Amino acid sequence: MNTNENKTEKVNDSHLMNDAQLMVEAQIANHIVDLLDHRVQQLTPVEVQRLSAARSLAVSQLTSLQTQAASHHGVNQSGHVLQWFGHHVGQHKIMSSALLVVAMLLALFVAQQFSFTHNLENSDAFLLASDLPPEAYADKGFNAWLDSN
Amino acid sequence: MAGFQLRFKSTVLALALVFSSLAIADEANVTWAELSDAQHQVLNPLAAEWDTLRPWQREKMLDIARDYPKMSASKQALVTKRLSNWSRMTPYERENARKRHQQFQALSADKKNELRKKWQEYQKLPESERARLRAESPDAYTDADLN
Repeated sequence: MNTNENKTEKVNDSHLMNDAQLMVEAQIANHIVDLLDHRVQQLTPVEVQRLSAARSLAVSQLTSLQTQAASHHGVNQSGHVLQWFGHHVGQHKIMSSALLVVAMLLALFVAQQFSFTHNLENSDAFLLASDLPPEAYADKGFNAWLDSN
Repeated sequence: MAGFQLRFKSTVLALALVFSSLAIADEANVTWAELSDAQHQVLNPLAAEWDTLRPWQREKMLDIARDYPKMSASKQALVTKRLSNWSRMTPYERENARKRHQQFQALSADKKNELRKKWQEYQKLPESERARLRAESPDAYTDADLN
């Protein structure tokens, strides 16, 4: 029983210490921010220029790292997905063009199949086999007679 | 390099379009003797006049032969019976028929029955009366609608 109470006390003490440490760190951070805000008003042009150059360098390094990561996952700097099929394919522009043409033809084929299925019931063959003969649909006089009746 | 790529892709696309057009044109120019047995069977009512049909007329008839096997025996009999008259219709009449057929299909069963009865009634009118009605009705489609 005593052992359990001791453990609970130790855990509570540990939480209190962590909270206190976080508060101190937050206070230090706020102090740093205040100091920086105060100091930024007094920067010389040379210091501003150096800071700007350092920022540009950091941004360019970050961009370079991100590009390398993207390339590692299959997309190179120009967004070329052919890298997925290996460098040999990616380096040949003619393969890129051929793949594009194949994709277009495939899309055309799929669209034609869809259109064919969709229009099947409206084809001339189904018109000829309809309940009414084609003359009934084509006869302008019949339409006029229907309108007048 | 980008310019070369664009030119290459355009050329390949244009060639594909030209070849597909040529393939369609060849199919439409086929003579009666060159048709398959299955096509002969379906298009038999047109045997005498097939070689006089224009390419676009042949193309439409070949479409009918293509869809024919997908139909029931009773529907196939109707197609065979009506094919000759269909081939003799003018482009205006055929286009009118297609549009009206689409509208007919969208009707309810009751409305379809009603129209069937009306057609029977209309058939009983004197031919002179039907001719007058036809003459008084303007063409519903322009040349651009026809194929």
